[in-house]
Amino acid sequence: MDVFLMSLPTILKTMVMGAVPILLASLGEVFSERAGLVNIGLEGVMAIGAFVGFAIGKMTGNLWLGLVVGMLAGIAVNLLYGFCTVTLCADQVVTGMAINILAPAIALFGYNLFVGSNPANATGDQMASLAIPGLANIPFVGNAFFNQTLMGYLAFVLVPLVWYFFKNFRFGLSFRSVGENPQAAETLGINVVRVKYLACVLCGALAAAGGAFLTLCYTPIYTDGIVMGRGFIALATVIFGRWSAVGVLGASLLFGFFDGLNVALQAQFQAAPVMFFKMIPYAFTIVALLFFGSKHAGPKANGKPYFREMR
Amino acid sequence: MAELLRMEGISKRFGSFYANQDVSLQVEEGEVHTLLGENGAGKSTLMNILIGLYQPTEGKVYMRGQEVEISSPGVAVAHGIGMVHQHFMLIDDMTGLENIILGDKRHKSARLQLAEDRKTVEEIQERYGLEIDLDEKVSDMSIGMQQRVEIMKVLFRGADLLILDEPTAVLTDLEVQGLFDIMRSLTAEGKSIIFISHKMREVMAISDRVTVLRRGRSIQTLRVADTTEQELADLMIGQKFQENTYQKVSAPGAPELTLKDVSWHPEVKHGGLKDVSLTLHKGEVLGVAGIDGNGQSALAQLVTGLISPDSGEVEGPDGSKIAVFSPQSFIDAGLGNIPEDRNKMGLVGGMSVAENLVLKQTASDRFSSGHGAWLKMGAINDFAEQMREQNDIRCTSVNQTASSLSGGNQQKVILARELESHPKLLLAVYPTRGLDIGATEFIHNQIIAQRDAGCAVLLISADFDEVLKLSDRITVLFEGQIMGTYTGANPPIKEISLAMAGK
Ligand SMILES: Nc1ncnc2c1ncn2[C@@H]1O[C@H](COP(=O)(O)OP(=O)(O)OP(=O)(O)O)[C@@H](O)[C@H]1O
Ligand SMILES: [Mg+2]
Repeated sequence: MDVFLMSLPTILKTMVMGAVPILLASLGEVFSERAGLVNIGLEGVMAIGAFVGFAIGKMTGNLWLGLVVGMLAGIAVNLLYGFCTVTLCADQVVTGMAINILAPAIALFGYNLFVGSNPANATGDQMASLAIPGLANIPFVGNAFFNQTLMGYLAFVLVPLVWYFFKNFRFGLSFRSVGENPQAAETLGINVVRVKYLACVLCGALAAAGGAFLTLCYTPIYTDGIVMGRGFIALATVIFGRWSAVGVLGASLLFGFFDGLNVALQAQFQAAPVMFFKMIPYAFTIVALLFFGSKHAGPKANGKPYFREMR
Repeated sequence: MAELLRMEGISKRFGSFYANQDVSLQVEEGEVHTLLGENGAGKSTLMNILIGLYQPTEGKVYMRGQEVEISSPGVAVAHGIGMVHQHFMLIDDMTGLENIILGDKRHKSARLQLAEDRKTVEEIQERYGLEIDLDEKVSDMSIGMQQRVEIMKVLFRGADLLILDEPTAVLTDLEVQGLFDIMRSLTAEGKSIIFISHKMREVMAISDRVTVLRRGRSIQTLRVADTTEQELADLMIGQKFQENTYQKVSAPGAPELTLKDVSWHPEVKHGGLKDVSLTLHKGEVLGVAGIDGNGQSALAQLVTGLISPDSGEVEGPDGSKIAVFSPQSFIDAGLGNIPEDRNKMGLVGGMSVAENLVLKQTASDRFSSGHGAWLKMGAINDFAEQMREQNDIRCTSVNQTASSLSGGNQQKVILARELESHPKLLLAVYPTRGLDIGATEFIHNQIIAQRDAGCAVLLISADFDEVLKLSDRITVLFEGQIMGTYTGANPPIKEISLAMAGK
């Protein structure tokens, strides 16, 4: 128990750090699925965001510019997904998988050009942490929650905003109806196609931001496979968090907690194989889905193609 | 009276098939105008064009003499056209109020103005006597209330022209009367209504004028005052329509299925069964009358082996107790089933008509080799063509998906499949819901033919006229209990009606 208490600050710190990229991506996925688009291409979009954020940040020396351009790149890739699934009514899973294969490959190609031409490009800069005076000194949680990068804070601030949008905004209600019953939405004059494209833009931007967090705040380098399945975890988080912003926050933190536990245990039991501990967050995800996965099916028309004259 | 709507020369093509061809329709202010036509005549298609969900291949639409182009449902709403669709357009996961205000643009503020909208809705409720629980989720509402939400959606948007596409198909007689009252007060205010129904009695009662559609074309518009049920029916099917009456059977054969004091979740008033005893004989139609939601579904599920009773016994033809309740064992014992919801339980919508027709027999040598391993597509297609011919299934090809057929033709596909195996027991649940008079007649004839061939038929229907017409014996279900069983020849109608109300 003492050992646990001693490592708790580390665990919590890792928890919050680990939660942010998943939170961002899963907030994006909430928008996507609320509009009926199951986007399993999160992993790929995150990879693009991670690389572009890294490269532009390094090239210009402006990390915020890196983030913004990374998000734009994510939007571009996700609009490809949108075009295939919304306009061409292609299968969402297949298209998402294609994005997962295509996007990291583009990122790796770009990385090889970028670093191959100049090995000094291999290491980028990191955003600085901003401690909130007073709050940052609270035992255990202070350093974890109140000594983050600005980007981390922003991610958490998004949660109540998204929640409020779906709950209290007229457009939030319309948005939800598209994922539940697009034909009904259409009969009420809601432009279903436009909502779906908007969802793609938001999802692309947020998932790419989640990816960019990895290279701008987490580690200063880009490596192939840096996203490490976080895109898929985010998909699970959305189910686990019941398609709501607040639920997704809880689920992301829970995942982050197990990630932190993994780091702490690695430090504690150095003789044991590392891979065993690394497995913890992922094993937890599977167990969580076993228990919470299927009771609610989420938005009714989720994953289904829509065209107006169908019957 | 002034003209409100005129549709001229409307055509709509799906692939090579014309669902509407050169259709004209003219509606005046303050009238109830009925569209009459067989299943697949193109009524819903025409209305979907009017509401902007479908784009016409050809034709023009005028509102109050001005040509309008209804390029999307939003435009239709702006022109004051509202529609209650044949298949409800509701968001199950939202409350009544949320469904009503969804997509409405009256407020400038981007935030929802729920309190204010609730007041508006309550005013309308008051005015037309529309009873809706605004805070209940749609998925928890009765069908009747869901429909009132649909009507409220249209009224809330202030429509001048309401389209009601088969609103009465799912309503009880009492609810139909309530709907008609609402319709009358709307037309009294000068609003116009386009009404669609297959029930001639309703059409005669509520309409001012009727336009008849046949196979996608508009045939004629008549004043109801100047015509008769018979004339309309003849126009609709294009030949003389004759309704059969059937001889009732007074001495049926041996018992085929016996329920003895069967209960299933008896504590549930609207869905359980309580001490139900009944005997179904070979060669008779036993009709179950009663208002929807009084245990009919549970009874149907029991007879198809989907649920097993909590207590009581079910006996087969030889008096032996049935121990295993599974759909497969019931089918093997000779059950034919025309289920309640054809789209969910009767057909696989995405599969072709031919495939749906052989679903039950894919393992037979006739349609496959190696016990279903390798399908004989040739044999399946030949069989499907034959079935199409025999059952008058109207489709462009047997390889068309089942979901693209009109309701009546979907039902004919199910009937063809279920009767092909010559069932010993036929369960028919709401077999003609939403069907036109021709298809209804066809299905009634088929059911009686099965009876005459010695099949035991259990008919469950909310349409009292249908029960009276077909049943040799009538039993009444109320809150899961049997209120009484009556003879089908010269039935005591008054007594039965009272029993249906639980008296
Ligand atoms: N979206 C569609 N795609 C293909 N075919 C369609 C489509 N909508 C309608 N049809 C076809 O057009 C014809 C007319 O259908 P419609 O739904 O208008 O009939 P209806 O008169 O409303 O019949 P019912 O009384 O059964 O409701 C049918 O043969 C149907 O199969
Ligand atoms: Mg129709």
